[in-house]
Amino acid sequence: MKLDRRQLLALTGLGAASTVLAACGDAKTSSGPGTTTQDQLTKLLPAYAPNELVKADIPSVNGANGFFSNPAFLKYPANPVTTVNGVPGKGGSYTTMTPLWGAIPSASGNAYYAEVNKVLGATLKLQPADGSNYDKVLPTLFAGDKLSDWVQIPSWNMGNLGFADAVNKFADLGPYLSGDAIKAYPNLAAIPTSAWQCCIWNGKLFGLPVYYSGATIAGTLFHRKDILAKEGINPDDIKTPADLAELGKQLTSAAAGRWAFDDVFDSLGQIYKFPVDPNRWVIDEGGKIIHRYETPGILEALEWYQTQAKAGHVHPDALADKKEDAKQRFWSGKVVVTGDGPGAWKGDDAKSGKAANPSYDRQAFKLLSTDGKPQIWMNPSAGMYSFLNAKLSADQIKECLSIANYLAAPYGSKEYLTVNFGVEGTDYTMVDGNPVLTERGSKEVATTYQFLITPISPTTVIAGQTQVVKDYAAWEADMVKYAAKPAFYGMNVTEPAQYASINQPMVDLVKDIRYGRKPISAYQEGLKTWKAQGGDQLRAFYEDIRSKYGTGQ
Amino acid sequence: MTALRDATPALRTPDPKPVKKSRFRRDRSLLLMVIPAVLLLIVFNYVPMFGTATAFQRYSIYAGFWHSPWSGLETFRQLFSDPYFWSALGNTLELSLIQLIFYFPIPIALALLLHSIMSTKVRTIVQSVVYLPHFFSWVLAVTIFQQMLGGAGALNQFLRQHDLGTFDVMTNPDTFALLVTSQVIWKEAGWGIIVFLAALAAIDTQLYEAAAADGAGRWRRLWHITLPGIRGVIVLMLVLRLGNVLTVGFEQMLIQRGAVGRDAAEVLDTYAYYYGVVNANFSLGAAASLFKGVLSLLFLLAANKIAHLLGEDGLYRR
Repeated sequence: MKLDRRQLLALTGLGAASTVLAACGDAKTSSGPGTTTQDQLTKLLPAYAPNELVKADIPSVNGANGFFSNPAFLKYPANPVTTVNGVPGKGGSYTTMTPLWGAIPSASGNAYYAEVNKVLGATLKLQPADGSNYDKVLPTLFAGDKLSDWVQIPSWNMGNLGFADAVNKFADLGPYLSGDAIKAYPNLAAIPTSAWQCCIWNGKLFGLPVYYSGATIAGTLFHRKDILAKEGINPDDIKTPADLAELGKQLTSAAAGRWAFDDVFDSLGQIYKFPVDPNRWVIDEGGKIIHRYETPGILEALEWYQTQAKAGHVHPDALADKKEDAKQRFWSGKVVVTGDGPGAWKGDDAKSGKAANPSYDRQAFKLLSTDGKPQIWMNPSAGMYSFLNAKLSADQIKECLSIANYLAAPYGSKEYLTVNFGVEGTDYTMVDGNPVLTERGSKEVATTYQFLITPISPTTVIAGQTQVVKDYAAWEADMVKYAAKPAFYGMNVTEPAQYASINQPMVDLVKDIRYGRKPISAYQEGLKTWKAQGGDQLRAFYEDIRSKYGTGQ
Repeated sequence: MTALRDATPALRTPDPKPVKKSRFRRDRSLLLMVIPAVLLLIVFNYVPMFGTATAFQRYSIYAGFWHSPWSGLETFRQLFSDPYFWSALGNTLELSLIQLIFYFPIPIALALLLHSIMSTKVRTIVQSVVYLPHFFSWVLAVTIFQQMLGGAGALNQFLRQHDLGTFDVMTNPDTFALLVTSQVIWKEAGWGIIVFLAALAAIDTQLYEAAAADGAGRWRRLWHITLPGIRGVIVLMLVLRLGNVLTVGFEQMLIQRGAVGRDAAEVLDTYAYYYGVVNANFSLGAAASLFKGVLSLLFLLAANKIAHLLGEDGLYRR
């Protein structure tokens, strides 16, 4: 381990830092910037052998810069294929920890857990933890060395972990998966290279990708098409921020309890070209590396949003920072336009929305732009990764990878049904050719095993809502035409820990301005402090990365 | 209280040797009963104090306490040069002062009112009603306020529908101090009366009867019997409150910080949370908390000293 680290440091030009490391003995204060050279990547990346079992009803569409939309399926195959022969596990027992956004199912008497563990031939002791507070739990687990055998960590929780150091707690999967070694696990070999690339830190393959796709985005602007139709508005006419602002006036009717916008600020990033998490840096036309806070776009977006907030077009609860009720506000029609992740546009959302109002129809606007040339920065292919604990033996790692191979079985397989829906008749039934969770199933089946590893995300029918699949696939096929790589795309750069807290005052300031508590003019003062407190040093850090590793574009 | 002190002079004899042994024998079972509480204190309050060492380190979660490099007072220099820290301290003191003035007398007044109600039935009902909000979490309490007084709340929707002007106190930084104080009053004043009610119950009713016989009216009885009777408890509560002067409700602030902004709602506890936990700068969080702890102790000791000078017991008897 030590030798490797030193080699890596020499390689990254941080030779001076390695002397510090040697002096500190076990004090692992820095393992370098986390990222990896192109040459190393080529050696490390697993081979790719796709295994599409079923022909998609709506095939994937190739977009710009190598990005592509997800294949969409309208009906589950009547005769699912078996992709894994025999039992993957050897009777081992492993603890897992995954985030979960929603109610945590009871483990006792859970037919779904029992069934999946049975087919896996191993016992995975699932410990789902509250996703919203996951970032607060992780540091204590690392500090106390109490990590489970198999841990999932979302990319947006990695920033403050100093991840180039954190990965030392996990097993190096390179010897098991790099190159042709992966062919021992056919379902893992079907994971595209772009997803594996996100799983590499410090020149080693550590992660297993979770929920990756050919075009992963942070989110977009959604609207209630049914309400727009009632007001005689065609959503396709909304092309610029000025058009959007016009909706503010047309759709707000406060006395009737309806406001045009929820908190859409992050979605303005796509329109005004400032990156949102996990992307932070862009390269301007002059070739200068600039942070999100230094883009001219963020100022324009603040101005747009503050104008809407002051004009009373934003729901007051959104201005009171009550994000947790945003979905309810949208379902109940108290807001007409909202910003959310792409995951919000699924069958279960349509089911919840229609429960509030039968004519409920969530749609996304086609990408807006200020100049008629829309562009959207992509997130790394995978937004979440799982890791195996470094304490596991080689045999245990192999068993876990066999289990992963089962869990990553593609759409259309028998295994996919079991992993995602449990026991037929108990947890789900087939309705119109698609699996639908029963009442018991919706209590027992939560995203648990799936957060360890998944096959490439298909767009599928959930809760019987076929139209949602068609709409989403059509929107995504259009969106990928404008896909672009942001700076340092998928490079897993770990920023030095001492700069972690310089962003907090800016986060607060941006909120103060967009909610109308401070004038736009207050922005430059805050930005000056940010630069002085470390923003400029951080830029120098990225300049160094650019000269040694490139920009990932 | 004075009567109680005079009645137990044995406790004050400055002759510890022979007494110590017999006192131990006499209090054996009491001491046994105290052991679990002491253990709890040791495990959850004293052992974690070693964590304050991180304030003097450049703490890394991977290196741990034992291997993180020492940094001397560097973290404190960083803390004291941060204008946001001073603004958090200023907010904490301001909110504390406002709560001291507006909140502190309310449970006493409520207790006096309740005490004067003769019908036990009415008293029980009122008591239950004012206790109830204490059992709500802050999330729920703030949600109720938001739904009643928020920009889209019941009150403002009513005003809108009748073409009257609206006002949103939930997002107004200028009135935030008053908002949180009224929230504290609504939620905690009822619970706060318990101690005072107990003190009121301990007052000898014969004193009232004698005073009434001598022709003392309601106000004179309040002034000369009731208030002196609970003065010790009031001073004790005041001393405890002053010891907690830098704690003004972490959850309550955290939940509403986004609605009014950092400038109005950042207090020492949320500062330590955002800069320490959220941004993983644990050393800075520990330094801010240690600073708060030391300052609180000084406040407590000073308040206790003043109580002694006024001739009251304070936290302990001199």
